[in-house]
Amino acid sequence: MARADGGGAVKFRVELVWKEDEENATASIYLTSDGRVILQGAAVSRAERETLALPLEGDMISVDRRLIRAIKDML
Amino acid sequence: MFLRNYWYVAASASEVGRKPLARIILGEPVVFFRTEDGAPVAFEDRCVHRHLPLSMGKLVGDRLQCHYHGLQYDRSGQCVRIPGQDRIPPNAKVKAYPVVERYGWLWIWMGDPALADPAKITDFHWLDDANWGAKSSYLYVNANWQLIVDNLLDLTHLAFVHETTIGNSALAEHATVKVTRAPNNVVVTRWIIDQPAPPTFVKVGGFTSNVDRWQIIDFAPPAFLRLDVGATPTGTGAPQGRRVGGITMRNLNAITPETEKTSHYFWGQAHDFDVKNAVLTEKIFEQIQTAFYEDVAVFTAQQRSLDLIPDPPQLDINADTGVIQARRILARLHEEEQAALHATAAE
Repeated sequence: MARADGGGAVKFRVELVWKEDEENATASIYLTSDGRVILQGAAVSRAERETLALPLEGDMISVDRRLIRAIKDML
Repeated sequence: MFLRNYWYVAASASEVGRKPLARIILGEPVVFFRTEDGAPVAFEDRCVHRHLPLSMGKLVGDRLQCHYHGLQYDRSGQCVRIPGQDRIPPNAKVKAYPVVERYGWLWIWMGDPALADPAKITDFHWLDDANWGAKSSYLYVNANWQLIVDNLLDLTHLAFVHETTIGNSALAEHATVKVTRAPNNVVVTRWIIDQPAPPTFVKVGGFTSNVDRWQIIDFAPPAFLRLDVGATPTGTGAPQGRRVGGITMRNLNAITPETEKTSHYFWGQAHDFDVKNAVLTEKIFEQIQTAFYEDVAVFTAQQRSLDLIPDPPQLDINADTGVIQARRILARLHEEEQAALHATAAE
């Protein structure tokens, strides 16, 4: 099992953070050794999906808009 | 590609004295010397008369005299004497560069002199701070400056290039790295928690149990890389910012382009333990120097490859994340600088 600190079985993994200034850092973008890009965000609940007329199937996360800027600038 | 409106390290302070020193910086020939009161001076290393490098001349008081026909220049680069001629043309002047002495290095501003604010000099205080033991040095590298920046932002090469000195395979295979990008700065951070200390750390830090170890690389344009490495006994709070009972070292790098294919590489190593122990300072310095020689062999070979096939396609891997961010910052700053230059020229 992988440990939180990245030891043990964890392969090479990069966390990317865009920091506009001391107070404003975006959520993280993770680049994993299996080639995936994983974003940090909040899960969108069923209630939210119904309210916002979003599809009910599949996993969804909402991300801070600044994260989109980070993706554009960093990936 | 060079960025001009930045302070660069041009020489170690001890290199510049009453004998003119020639050095090419960002493709421009520069001569350095000190006036009789010890103030450093830098100007274009080319006589306005017949282009002989002024560094071949000699100092007459505070004037630099050309070796060829004896024209003399004052500290501002103004020609103030032409043998056998009373009238000195007003354009008999070479370009003078702002210089500042700090941290045992001589810094030069190659861009617009009006923008040369010494407050913008990158902090390398560890090199002359009484709370640190430190030694600095210089390497001449037959490679483009950005290859050196790339190398210092990449931790995984330690496993291969420095296999027998400071690296091990875990650095490449089982690492979690955080890359924090700010508009003009990249920080690459890696923590290794609750692991045995490497032999060199045991020797100088006296660790008897596992440690929390960090490697933090701070990149500031155009080519300053300040590495913060160290360890504390595990669980004592270093990841939260409380460094107690451990050791910290700073590996400090300032790269100055000479040409597009050659670089001046100023570097130093500082430590916060047993700071007055000069033998220890030397020993730590030598260990790092051995590793740096291994890097220089890599840069030189890379440059040879690039000379044969310029701008070949290249593959980026996850480990290049910090490198890519730094390159993007440099490309953007260069674009901005060029745009400002063109705007000024168009006025």
